Amino acid sequence: MRKKVIVDTDPGVDDAMMILAALRSPELEVIGLTSIFGNASGYATAQNALRLVELEGNDNIPVARGSDRGLVVEAQMLGTMVHGEDGMGNTNPPLPKGKWLDISAAQFIAQKVLDNPRQVTLLAVGPLTNVALALRLEPRIVELVEQVVIMGGSIGAGGNISPVAEANIFHDPHAAEIVFSAGLPLVMVGLDVTLKVIQTRQYLDKIKAANNPAGHLLRSILPCYQRYHDQAYGMGGDIHTHDPSALAYVLDPELFKVEEVPVYVETSGYGFGQTIADRRRQLGQRPPVSVCVEVDAPGVLALIEERLTR
Amino acid sequence: MRRFWIDTDTASDDAVAILMALRWPDVHVEGISVVVGNVPLEMCSVNARYTVELCGKETPVYEGMARPYLREPHYAFFFHGPDGMGGMNYPQPKRPPAKQHAVEALIEVVRAHPGEITLVTLGPLTNIAAALQLAPDLAEKIPQCYTMGGAACTVGNITPAAEYNIWVDPEAARMVFHSGLPVTMVGWELCRGKANLDKEDIEYVRSFGTVYADFAIDCNRQAIITNQEWLHDPFLPLPDPVTMAIALDPAVCTRKSKHYVDVETASELTRGMTVVDQLGVLNKPPNIEVCWEIDIPLWKETLYKTLR
Repeated sequence: MRKKVIVDTDPGVDDAMMILAALRSPELEVIGLTSIFGNASGYATAQNALRLVELEGNDNIPVARGSDRGLVVEAQMLGTMVHGEDGMGNTNPPLPKGKWLDISAAQFIAQKVLDNPRQVTLLAVGPLTNVALALRLEPRIVELVEQVVIMGGSIGAGGNISPVAEANIFHDPHAAEIVFSAGLPLVMVGLDVTLKVIQTRQYLDKIKAANNPAGHLLRSILPCYQRYHDQAYGMGGDIHTHDPSALAYVLDPELFKVEEVPVYVETSGYGFGQTIADRRRQLGQRPPVSVCVEVDAPGVLALIEERLTR
Repeated sequence: MRRFWIDTDTASDDAVAILMALRWPDVHVEGISVVVGNVPLEMCSVNARYTVELCGKETPVYEGMARPYLREPHYAFFFHGPDGMGGMNYPQPKRPPAKQHAVEALIEVVRAHPGEITLVTLGPLTNIAAALQLAPDLAEKIPQCYTMGGAACTVGNITPAAEYNIWVDPEAARMVFHSGLPVTMVGWELCRGKANLDKEDIEYVRSFGTVYADFAIDCNRQAIITNQEWLHDPFLPLPDPVTMAIALDPAVCTRKSKHYVDVETASELTRGMTVVDQLGVLNKPPNIEVCWEIDIPLWKETLYKTLR
């Protein structure tokens, strides 16, 4: 049986690569996309979610639009420098044909998890606002969700949007704190591993050369993302692999080594958005989550390439 | 008829406020949403439904958030009694809660009647924050929200800095205060001292000889004791009914002004403090209408009208 997956996402260039790979994965049944602000505005990311399901004929997959801001903090420091104002590398793609559902993302997540007990994997690769809100609206999600795999956080690799904070957590640290404290079957795919998976310029050239709609789209949106990585990190056309790494975990957890450790999220001060691993249980009794600490980078890269070029 | 929606963590003074709205002549209460606060959610639901039935109404009671956004629940049994109703152990209500989630029900009713629903909040703001998160358009579709909560430029009750409702879920309150929702803040400081029902007021209410009058005093019998022992404040404070009185008759509030108000969420010492920029020193656009004074005889008469 195919694994039922809801992708909660703020597309976003790396989100787009991940979603297209997910939709091309025979092991997965993507039962919906839920959008969230983050890499770009809530409006832009919702539009992009629609574009991505439509790109290769997956129009039947519903899109629910989520929050435009954090639970407590307003939207700030969006990822438009990295992903373009439109979240699609400033390529101004045409309007999608479809429309998002009437119910919001958090309601959609709650409904689907309850309707399919212990069957739904939630792959959340943006700020965790929708997920946190769903948990508060429907606390039974904690018992009924199969697994929650997030791209976000960093326990030993520093931050990217601040010296200590990873961007998804930074955009809504209160939501992240709700998610990390909930007792969920949670896997964190954070900077500890995603910075180690490098998509080189040559690797990306192969993805872009794929003669399919996914390849054509990625060819147009990746340059903006590559440019940012070069400006920020001097990577010369190479990029880190964030959201596709989280998908790789869903497809093949064997590619990762995890550490079971409680994680706390700082919601104020210089550490705003920092994820803190409490290895010696000094901060309290919080249940542990699975934090990815090592990765088979060539394995992840081969898997993503295979999905996008098949 | 004016359309009202009441969001409440129904314990004793909430129950009196609900009764006031249900018995007010030109007001129709479209629904009641309960939220965790004074007592656990299920108990709020029972108390709200009992109150509705006492008033001979069929107003739907929707159950909402069972815990604050981030903080652990902190109940006020010490103030409202083990059942939230002064230990009166009233019979169970006959009708069940409405099926729909409170947050979804609130969104639906506001969208069905844009610009018409007066919102009155009597508890922590978790339901309202979630509704605004799911449906940001509510901020412009609700013409007025009266909120019992906070302490404007004065001491708190649950801590020296904070009033209980805001303190229980400061993150939700902060979100609501900055959401664009037109909030009138009725702080607890307006609902103490001379605004309380004193011994004579209570005797006067008893003299009405109605089930409503007895209910209003009986369910608050623990509050009368705790208020005096704990806050050294005379007899019976009724913060939620004061707020409801202002919603029913805005003339009850005699002085108000709009200010930038923020809620402290980072500090433990001042958690939930409502910081009112009374002098405008921050130069930020005002977001909250703050009530500073009430007409105490008019507030009490507004209450009495509904108890006779």
